[in-house]
Amino acid sequence: MANSISEILGSAAAIAKGMSVTLKEMMSPTVTEDYPDAPAKFQERYRGVHVLQRDEAGLEKCVACFLCAAACPSNCIYIEADENTEKKRISGGERYASVYNIDYSRCIFCGFCVEACPTDAITHGHQFEIASYNTSTLIYRKEQMLVNIAPNVKAPALPVETTGGH
Amino acid sequence: MALVNVTINGVQVQAENGALLIEVAKQNGIEIPAFCYYEGMSLQAACRMCLVEVEKAPKLMAGCTLPVAEGMVVRTESEPVVKARKTTLEFLLSNHPLDCPVCDKGGECELQDMTFKYGVGESRFTEIKQHVPEKQWSPVVFYDAPRCILCYRCVRVCNEGMGVGALGVSYRGVNAEIIPSNGDHLECDECGSCIDICPVGSLTSGIYRYKTRPWEMEHVGTVCTHCSNGCKTTLGVRNNEIVRGNNRDKSGINGEFLCVKGRYAFDFTQHPERLQTPLIRNAAGELEEASWSRALKLVAEKFKALAGPDFGVIGSTRTTNEENYLLQKFARTALGTASIDHHRTGDVVTLIDSLSGKTGQLATAEDLYTSKAVLVVASDLSQQQPLLANKIRANVRHHKAAVYTVTPGPVREDKIARKAIRIAEADSLAGVEQLREALSKEAELVIIYGDAIQGEKVRQLVAFGESLGIPVKYVALVDYANSRGALDMGLLPDLGPGYHATAPGRSLQQMLDDPKLAALWVVGSNPLKGGKSLASTNAFVVVQDLFLTETAQRADVVLPAASAYEKNGTVTNVCGQVQRLKKGIETVGSKADLAIIGLLARGMGVNLGKVDADAIFAEIAASVPGYNQLPMPVILTGGAVQTHPVNGGVPPSSVPGIIASARDTLFTTGSLTRYSKILNEVLEKPGALYS
Ligand code: SF4
Ligand code: SF4
Ligand code: SF4
Ligand code: SF4
Ligand code: SF4
Ligand code: FES
Repeated sequence: MANSISEILGSAAAIAKGMSVTLKEMMSPTVTEDYPDAPAKFQERYRGVHVLQRDEAGLEKCVACFLCAAACPSNCIYIEADENTEKKRISGGERYASVYNIDYSRCIFCGFCVEACPTDAITHGHQFEIASYNTSTLIYRKEQMLVNIAPNVKAPALPVETTGGH
Repeated sequence: MALVNVTINGVQVQAENGALLIEVAKQNGIEIPAFCYYEGMSLQAACRMCLVEVEKAPKLMAGCTLPVAEGMVVRTESEPVVKARKTTLEFLLSNHPLDCPVCDKGGECELQDMTFKYGVGESRFTEIKQHVPEKQWSPVVFYDAPRCILCYRCVRVCNEGMGVGALGVSYRGVNAEIIPSNGDHLECDECGSCIDICPVGSLTSGIYRYKTRPWEMEHVGTVCTHCSNGCKTTLGVRNNEIVRGNNRDKSGINGEFLCVKGRYAFDFTQHPERLQTPLIRNAAGELEEASWSRALKLVAEKFKALAGPDFGVIGSTRTTNEENYLLQKFARTALGTASIDHHRTGDVVTLIDSLSGKTGQLATAEDLYTSKAVLVVASDLSQQQPLLANKIRANVRHHKAAVYTVTPGPVREDKIARKAIRIAEADSLAGVEQLREALSKEAELVIIYGDAIQGEKVRQLVAFGESLGIPVKYVALVDYANSRGALDMGLLPDLGPGYHATAPGRSLQQMLDDPKLAALWVVGSNPLKGGKSLASTNAFVVVQDLFLTETAQRADVVLPAASAYEKNGTVTNVCGQVQRLKKGIETVGSKADLAIIGLLARGMGVNLGKVDADAIFAEIAASVPGYNQLPMPVILTGGAVQTHPVNGGVPPSSVPGIIASARDTLFTTGSLTRYSKILNEVLEKPGALYS
């Protein structure tokens, strides 16, 4: 008899212990994402589709130094450079990227390009929904990655001669 | 010279007494970093990067100017030396902008490399950097003063290497900068040597400016297609576009030298007027675009119908040896004509005949650098033969060579000449005779002569040379990239490959003047330039060219051809040195002349064997004297080998032909250069010869 009583008590204790975990977890906040019913949430440093940044004057930060392309292990960045002129000033430096493509069918989101950029022009954004049935749509052009000019900035606004000591 | 024992970093080495320490160290695998020291240039000792510790010397010494002596003990990596280098770099960078991301030199910059290897990585200077706006000195030369480290390399290469002296230094201290010849702009050879030699991105090239970065390009070593000198040029290719030319690896017969054409005038390949599709003259008498298959079919049919002795063939001075060989073979066999010629620009044939039975008397480009004496007859070398002129200048600088000139007007070589004779071209030989006494005292001599010396005069000149009683070598000057190859391959009305007699046909002028000519096939040449016309109004004319030249405008069918930068093959320079062309870019729409000849042969049902550059070269090597013993590995790896096409007499010619140089200047070489945007921009003064 004594045996069966202790067995019941033991089982009850085990259930109580298990239920206490369940109850505790029920009370704590949810971590599961409700994606796609609700928008996904990200850590700040999540590495999604790249964003090409502008400076305070609204000019493109990229000076077409090709260092991101050189750092890229999957060789998916393609750049064509051109010279800023008095009439047409695109970036803050002497040179700008007239073409800047990233091939997302090859990008492994390693972040090396961001690391390599001397002007902080290329950063990772949080966009990740880029799946496609057609790989040719995975080649993103500069225009698709460039941030919009902030509404309060009138660009381009820098004087043509850059000043020294930068 | 006596050998001395020197200890560098604990290792005992032997060196020639008085040799420069920096060179001795280099020969023994020890790097002494340097900016202003440059092999082949005068010493400057301006940068202090090469400081080393020498035992018993009170202070660190500049390794670039220090001659070694017996028992010298040197340390190149000791603590004071390492510290001195760090300080030197810190000073050099004190006003240097942080421009690397946009600087055209980035990635191949000596200052970057040195800072990476020897620098501190931090600067104690916090002062605002002094900025000076960049200046454009000419269409091809830009100068950014803050990046300049004042090493004087550019000043020296322009003065000593080019003999131009267009650059100097002005102002002092932090304001010191390089100043161009005309105050705010350059009037010079526009050779770009200064840009090339600049260790930093201070001097940059107008054509390569901000286009790409060094590691993004493919570097294709080929041969310049402009003049006859045959400089090696390394084309920087990106996206099937040539973006720069230089020869930093010093390969080839030219070392680092390139003139304005070799360095910049590759842009004709991208010219908007470049032909990209065949043209056929339609019923209305206008040239109309057509497909390759239609054009080839038409030409093959016509060729088949018109083949025979009245068929004229004019070959090119720019196409490869393989193409020239195949062209004359096709013409002499399948087309059954002996009327084959090209634009002859120098009398090589008589020279070879005059030297029959002798060996080793044709000079190479290298001979102009090593020979103890050089005689220039009737040529403005610096304008017409830039590399040969450069070799002579280097010879004077390094070996104190004796230079003699016999020219109708002033030439740059006068400045370095022992004796300069001013005499009309027609009387050149009398001028040469005046030098007899001086020349016979020289130990050896190279005689180079222009087109004013031809026929009998060549024989007289050679007789003069042989009577001096010293070893004499000769160069018969010609104009274009493969002028010599056209002769060697038998694009002549009475001589086949290797100067063998063949049945005589018409010369170029006779073809143009003959009203009975049934057909004319012009491959890469422009015989109707300057308003000339074809006497035979009914002749069926086919032209292969890059552009719609005067001759192409007269053609019934125009076939767009590839340039030398777009094909493989070999060319032979003015000194008979064979070098290999390497395809830099693919063509759009046009085809290599070799392929066109092959397709026409196929259209006519003629079997020419395998039509590719290597196979044809093998055929040349098997059958053309002088080309049969060329060491192929040397050529295939980008070297130059001299040919001696015949060593017997050349049969006398029965066909009167014209030999006339086009008298091009430094900024022009035939029709190609008309289509170079950059050359037309730098044409500050047309640069008349002998002025
Ligand atoms: S994230 Fe990595 S793979 Fe993607 S573009 Fe940048 S460097 Fe290339
Ligand atoms: S010269 Fe060299 S170190 Fe100076 S900005 Fe250009 S790449 Fe950088
Ligand atoms: S381009 Fe040539 S000639 Fe002109 S300044 Fe430079 S080195 Fe001298
Ligand atoms: S421009 Fe270049 S080569 Fe000339 S002194 Fe300055 S750093 Fe030296
Ligand atoms: S010297 Fe002649 S071969 Fe050399 S770069 Fe100039 S044009 Fe070309
Ligand atoms: S290399 Fe010796 S001082 Fe410049």
